[in-house]
This record gives sequence, C-alpha cells and structure tokens, in this order.
Amino acid sequence: MGSSSSNMNNIPDGQQLLQETGFSAAHIVRLYERFEFLDKDNTGHLRPEDLETVPDLDKNPIGARIIGAFFPPGKETLDFGSFVRILAHFRPADSNRARDGAQQEPANSTTGKLRFAFQLYDQDGDGKISRDELLQVLRSMLGLQVTEEQLQCIAERAIQEADADKDDAISFDEFRKSLEKVDIDHKMSISFLR
Amino acid sequence: MTSRTGSHSPAGFGKSLPERGLLLLVVLVLLEGSVLPHGAASSPDTSHHTKAGNGAGNGTGNGTVKIAKKAFPVLSLDYHHIQTPFEISLWVLLASLMKLGFHLIPRLSGIVPESCLLIVVGLMVGGLIKLAGEKVPPVLDSQFFFLCLLPPIILDAGYFLPIRPFMENLGTILIFAVVGTLWNAFFIGGLLYAVCQIQPNNPSNLHQLELLPCLLFGSIISAVDPVAVLAVFEEIHINELLHILVFGESLLNDAVTVVLYHLFEEFSAVGSVTVLDGVLGIISFLVVACGGVLVGAIYGILAAFTSRFTSHTRVIEPLFVFVYSYMAYLSAEMFHLSGIMALIACGAVMRPYVEANISHKSHTTIKYFLKMWSSVSETLIFIFLGVATVDGQHDWNWTFVTVTVILCLVARVIGVVGLTYMINKFRIVKLTTKDQFIIAYGGLRGAIAFSLGFLLKKELFPLREMFLTAIITVIFFTVFVQGMTIKPLVELLAVKKKQEAKRSINEEIHTQFLDHLLTGIEDICGHYGHHHWKDKLNRFNKKYVKKCLIAGERSKEPQLIAFYHKMEMKQAIELVESGGGVKMPSSIPSTVSMQNIQPKKPPPAKPVERALPQLPKGREEEIRKILRSNLQRTRQRLRSYNRHTLVADPYEDGLGDLLIKKQRMIELEKKIKDMNNYLTVPAAPPDSPTMCRARLASGKDTDFKPAQQQKGNTIGPDPQAYHTKSVSDSVPAIQVDLASPQSPDSVNMMDEFRRAGQQQQQQEDQGLMMRPPSRPGEADGARDPQKLTRCLSDPGPSADEEEDEPFLP
Repeated sequence: MGSSSSNMNNIPDGQQLLQETGFSAAHIVRLYERFEFLDKDNTGHLRPEDLETVPDLDKNPIGARIIGAFFPPGKETLDFGSFVRILAHFRPADSNRARDGAQQEPANSTTGKLRFAFQLYDQDGDGKISRDELLQVLRSMLGLQVTEEQLQCIAERAIQEADADKDDAISFDEFRKSLEKVDIDHKMSISFLR
Repeated sequence: MTSRTGSHSPAGFGKSLPERGLLLLVVLVLLEGSVLPHGAASSPDTSHHTKAGNGAGNGTGNGTVKIAKKAFPVLSLDYHHIQTPFEISLWVLLASLMKLGFHLIPRLSGIVPESCLLIVVGLMVGGLIKLAGEKVPPVLDSQFFFLCLLPPIILDAGYFLPIRPFMENLGTILIFAVVGTLWNAFFIGGLLYAVCQIQPNNPSNLHQLELLPCLLFGSIISAVDPVAVLAVFEEIHINELLHILVFGESLLNDAVTVVLYHLFEEFSAVGSVTVLDGVLGIISFLVVACGGVLVGAIYGILAAFTSRFTSHTRVIEPLFVFVYSYMAYLSAEMFHLSGIMALIACGAVMRPYVEANISHKSHTTIKYFLKMWSSVSETLIFIFLGVATVDGQHDWNWTFVTVTVILCLVARVIGVVGLTYMINKFRIVKLTTKDQFIIAYGGLRGAIAFSLGFLLKKELFPLREMFLTAIITVIFFTVFVQGMTIKPLVELLAVKKKQEAKRSINEEIHTQFLDHLLTGIEDICGHYGHHHWKDKLNRFNKKYVKKCLIAGERSKEPQLIAFYHKMEMKQAIELVESGGGVKMPSSIPSTVSMQNIQPKKPPPAKPVERALPQLPKGREEEIRKILRSNLQRTRQRLRSYNRHTLVADPYEDGLGDLLIKKQRMIELEKKIKDMNNYLTVPAAPPDSPTMCRARLASGKDTDFKPAQQQKGNTIGPDPQAYHTKSVSDSVPAIQVDLASPQSPDSVNMMDEFRRAGQQQQQQEDQGLMMRPPSRPGEADGARDPQKLTRCLSDPGPSADEEEDEPFLP
C-alpha cells in the first residue's frame, strides 16, 4: 500500500457498492487496486482485451465465456461498479442476513450464484440451456480429446436426465435441481473475498 | 450394517443363531485353551526312527547304548513342529468366526459397535487361557502389531482415501492433527505431573513420577487412533466432511506422535530437555512428516511405473501394489519416519495411475484383499487388546487413572473448540457446534497407544504398569462409552448423514464447469486460491505425469468421458437385465457376469444395443419388478473407502432413471430399424478357461485369438465378453454365455468399459461392432488347444478387437 493507495473516497460509488454487494471496505479497496492493475491504459474502464491479458485465462476452456460474462452484449466497457457487482456473486453467502422482504435476492446467495452460472451456459439468454448450448460447453471443455459422437451422447444423456418438462432443454429450475447435491455455496465461493 | 444383518438372517433361524454363535465361541476358545498346553508336552518324534536305524548298525564302540527297536510310528503327534503357524491360524480363525457370529445375532450389532464386542471376546479368551493355567501368549507384541497388524488397515485407508474432500480440508486436518495433538500431549502431561505432585504429605509412588515421563505418557495417550475411529465411524455413516476430518486427523497425527514419543523417550533417561532439543524436535517433526510422505510418494510412483508394464502378467499386479506399499512402510520405519504417513502417501499417489493400468480383475483383487486383510487385522487387534488386558500386570492407581481419563476428555474438548474457533476464520464452510461436538467425541484412543506404552522399557520407566493400566482404561472408556453412545447421539443431534448419492452426468458436467469458472474468476481477481493451484496441478498431471505412468492410450482420457462410460455401462447392465428378464429364466441374472462388456471407442450413440421387443404395459411392470429384484449390484469404484459398505446400494436409481431407460429402449428400437446389420456388441473373444471350454464345447469354429496375436494389441482381450448375435430379422437378440459361471461379484464394469472405451483409438469407425460371421480364417493357430493355458492368465482390461463372433448358436 503505497502513496497511490486508494481509500474509499476515491472509489467511484464506493459507499453504494459497500451497501449493495456486502463486501467490506477492505475488499472493495483490494478489488479496486486489481481493477486499476488490469486497466492498463488508465481509462477507468476495462475492455475485453484487458481481461484477456490475465495469465492463464487463455488456457481456461471457458475463458472466453467468462470474459463474455463481464461484457454483456452491447457493452464494450466495464466500469468498476459492474466489475464488483459481478464478483459479488462469488462472495461466500452470509448465514444470517436479515431478510428484507422487498429486497432482491442477494447476488451471493445460492440462487444468485446458480443464476450466474446458468447465464454462462445460456448464451442466447432465452432462459433455457438448449442442446446446442450444452454441446458448445462440452466441446470447449473436452476439446479435441473426444469425438463429436461422444459429445452428442453425453449431451443427449445430460438433457434426458435433467429435463423434467420434456422441452429438450434445461431450464433454470432443472439446472438447480440437478445440482442440489452439490454444496454450491462452498463450490462457488472465493475465500479471499471475505 | 443392520440392514445387511437383517437381510441375512431369515426369520426361521432366529432362535438358534445366538446359541450357535455362543457354541462356536465356546468351542473355539476351549480348543485354543487346550491346544496350548500340548506345545510344551509334545516331543519331537521325527528323530526316533532314524536313531533306531543307526543304533542297530552301530555295534562297536564303547558305551553304545542298545536302543530298543520300537515299532515304526504309524501315527504320531508332533505339535511343536507346527505350533506357531497353527496358533496364528487359530487366532485368525477365531477372529473371523467372531465376526460371523456377531452378524448372526441381529440386534446386537446394531447397538454395540463391533470393536466393543471384539474386546469382550478378547477378554473372555484371555480369561479362559488364564483359567486354564497357561501363559497368555504375548499377542500384542509391539513388533507384531506394528509390522503385521497395523499396515493392512492403514493401506486400506490410504488406498481408498477420498482425495477430494481430504485435500479440500487439508488445512483443517493438519491443524487438528498437529496443533491439536501437541496441545493434548502437553496439557495432559503437564497437568498429570501437577496432580501427581499435589499431595506432599502423603508420599505415594506417584511422586516418583517426573515431568518427562508424564509428558511421554501424555504424548502416547493423546493421539487419536485410526483403527478405533475407523471401526466406530464406519458404522454411523456420518457425513463426509466430519468423517474425513476425524479420520484424517487420526492418520496424520502419527507424525506428531512419533516425534514426541522419541523425543521424550530419549531424554527421559537424561532427565531434562533444553531449548536446543526443542528446536531439534520441531525440525525432526518436519523431517518425519515430510520424509514419510516423500518415501511413500516415491514408492507410489515406482508402483505406478511398474504397473505400466504389467500388461502381460496380470496375475501379479496386485502383488506390486501390496509389496511396494509395505516396503514404503518398512523403509519409513527404518528411518524412524512416520510409517503411517508413508503408507497413506504411497496408496494415494499410486492409485489413480495404477487403476488406469491394471486389469479389472486385479482391481477387484486388490480391493478385496485389502478389505479382507484390514478386516482381519482390525478384529485381531481388538481381540488381542482384550487378551492383553487380562494378561498384563496391572497397577491400578485410582488417582492416576481417573485423572487421566478426565483430562483426556477435557483436553480434547478444549482443543477442538479452541482450534475450530481459529480455523473457522479461514474456512468457507464453517464448522458448527454440532460438528465440533462430533469431532471432539470422535477422538477415540486405541491399540496404537497401548502398543507404544508396551514398548516402554521397564528400567527407564518404573511406573510402566501404571501407565499401561491407565492407557487401557482410557481405551476401554473411549471405545465402549464413546463408541456405543456416538450412534444415538448422532441420531439425537440430527447430524447430517452421508448422502448415498449417485452422481448424475449433469452434476459431473456442471461441477467441472464450475471448477473452470472459479479458476477463471480467481485468475481475474489475481487471487491464487484453492482452484488455481488445483488447476495447475491437474494440468501438470495431465501433461507430464500421466504420460509416464499410464500405459498406452488411456493417459489421454478426460475424466468426463470416464464418468460417462461408467454410467452407460451401468445402464447397459440394467437394460440387459430387464431385457433378459423378459426373455430368460430368472436364474440367469445371477450367473450373468457383466465382467467385460467392451465397447469400442467411440461409445456409440446407441450404447448397448439390446434389441428389445415392444413394451406393452404389462411388460413394463414386469420389467420394473425384475429390476427391483434382480438388479445386480453395481459397485461404484469411487466409494470404496468404507469397509463395511463394500457394496454400493443396488437400486438407487429411482423412477426417473427407469423412465429414461424406457425412453431409451423405445428409441433404440427405432434406431435399430434404421441400422442394418450393425450391432453394438462387446468385442473380445473370451479367453478365460471357462469361456474357452464353453466355446470348444459349443462346437463352433470359434475365433479364439490369444492376446498376443491381435493386431497391434498390447493389451489382451477380456474374457467373458458379452456377445449378441445379429439375427436375420430386424430384431436382434441378446445371447448370454450361460456356460460361464463367473462369480457374480465384482461388477466393476465401469472401469472396464472406460478402459475399453478409449483403448481403441485406432479404430475410428466402429461403435461396438459385430460383423456378420463370415470371416477369413484368422488366427488359425489360435485354435491350438495348448493355447488354453493362456486363458489362465488374466488377459487385461480391454480388448482391441476388430470383430467378433458369436460363440453361442
């Protein structure tokens, strides 16, 4: 933390982000430092190319998708607020939040996390994971090691297993149901963000 | 366990079984008691007749005693000759029969954990031997214990250790193991010393007790014992997290125990410990722990590497696993490193690679041998504990013993609570109070503590008997009281139980997806967390290690495909059984061994074509019933670490899967009509003796190809392959080899399937293929009956078959 360290006042919307995302001030500061690090040309915005420079992300099978999640279609730039809001999904869930009825489902609840993951599958945003979308994901994860037929089989089986309403696609509820045995809170949390 | 006993003891037997069990017990014990005196009394008869022969010819010489010629002994008793092995076998037999006996008495095994019962049996046997006036054999001789009884249990635990939860909780486990044990040792040792000193007016022999022996005693008694934990926890089916925490702790604290024990033992003679010694102790601890793991890992890698080349000698594959592991243990013990950690490391390191290389049968062999040995070992340990209790000279000192017991409990509770408070700051999934209670309550002491106490030298530790008494009391207390009450407590507190869950393919896909996602997010945040390192390790593993240690093509298979194959395999089995139920007599499913269904790569879009007739409503019901009653138990490889539940639950699928199957079958039908002549069929010509016999008996010109003769095949075909034959009409049928009485157990097909699946990278075009029978004479020499001898060797995990022929008409 040198002289250029930011405190909450320098961060745009800092206080609001504190409220909204539930991060602590230290976290917001840390994330802001990371944001500035990634923002090589200091425009205060991130572009896809900035994220692509992150090491190891290119080796990640779904790296492109993840970057795409930060930049929803139509938006070319990412400001700090959006950056933090997306990362808020990965905060470990609070066990004792006072549930305000009118308040929206917090981003880091299990549902929020799952919804984020779902959106990564569902690229066209129709609320369902179609067979093609599933195939695309499988293709990117398994790559050249398997044949197309195998991928088809797997996708076929996955849809058969999960599809309760027989629409040949996986809706969000079906998605959630198939993951009910997995501890999402544990799996989709980054402990650093605490 | 209760469910198994319930199923095994039919109602009619109820009355006679407890009596039977007791009768067996009494008989055996009497046998033991009576056999032992003979050891002293019998004289070696073997030398008699030779002497008689010599004596007769030796007429000259002074003082030659004329040995009267005896009748040639037709039947003689020479117990001495075979005494040791005989007694050992008798003990093992006793242990095993006890195990049998407990399960025959239905309600008992539900209430009382097996370990308690075994200790009681040991007490009885010891008592009987003593009553018979014989000297109780020093059964829990530390040498025997540490070198023979303990390794199988630890190897079993290490080989089947669930790596994922272990690694995820490694930090927590290490803190409990290291810091917790240290805390326990010093707390108990220090406070004991203080208590022993508090009665200045009343000099008792307690006052002789110095600080260092106290600390030594503390270190012996503070370690949670893996054998006891395993024995008790396996029966209560607690959730995976708690199980791995307590169990992992019990394994890893061995390093601490070793170091503390040696440290205090060394310096008890001297009488003081300096700071330098303390520092050396810490360094020693690191050396012991890391050294142990390193030794284990080296042997593990050697074993994995060796297994890469065993494709031609499958029969001795399990031997490599056992011998390398045992040598790892012995090597570590040689350097006074932690043998337990070496064994765990060896098993855990070698497992993924060895399993990719060895054949299906070897895998089964390894699994069953490990379970068997560890089961027998555990039984013997508890029985011997009982016997040794009766035998030892005890020095009961009320103060010492009760204070020890109380301190153990208190230390454990404080330790767990304190450490959890600190650990929870770093954990994502916090440990609740309930969890903490179970962890504290599950800190059982066992035979390791006793053996370590037994090793103490009397000269250095005059109060050795008192120590042993106290150790035994603590062991009894923890095993009986805590062991018996933990099950009702778990129920009472409604602690989460183990989820007997089958992973669906969706779960698998999504979990992998989430792993990648989290890794990516961590990279973006610049946070090198858990996922990051796991990902790096996986990539390193895939790139370098797998290539070295895994034979052939299997090194490239992604995990998802393996998983998918497993599922398909299981479904294939179920489909066949349901289809089989329609067509074949009900006795078939038990002899049907799904051993080696081999799909070729790629697994076809129609995985296992069983052409089934149309399914009218009535049939569906029938199929459901058949499925429920005859479903062969499919063992899931992933869940083998629980000795008592070696067999996974057979019918877990539920209705949803059934519907999928039904849909599948209907689809298959449609697809079959489109195909002509191509059936997906498991490929390999069978090689096993029974299959060979069957083939030859069936009189067909079968195409027997021994392993070596197949094209480009380094790994032989599998026996017991399944064959279907194409029938001329559009409805193919399933043929099952009725003549092969393969043992109905071990249906680890999935592995077979998996391995077979990627094996054939050469053959792109097929699924499971079977061309019509007209083939040019291939492998003519194969029909040489001498080749039958090759049947005997296990040909290997997968077959590389182009085509196949049905061998049943």
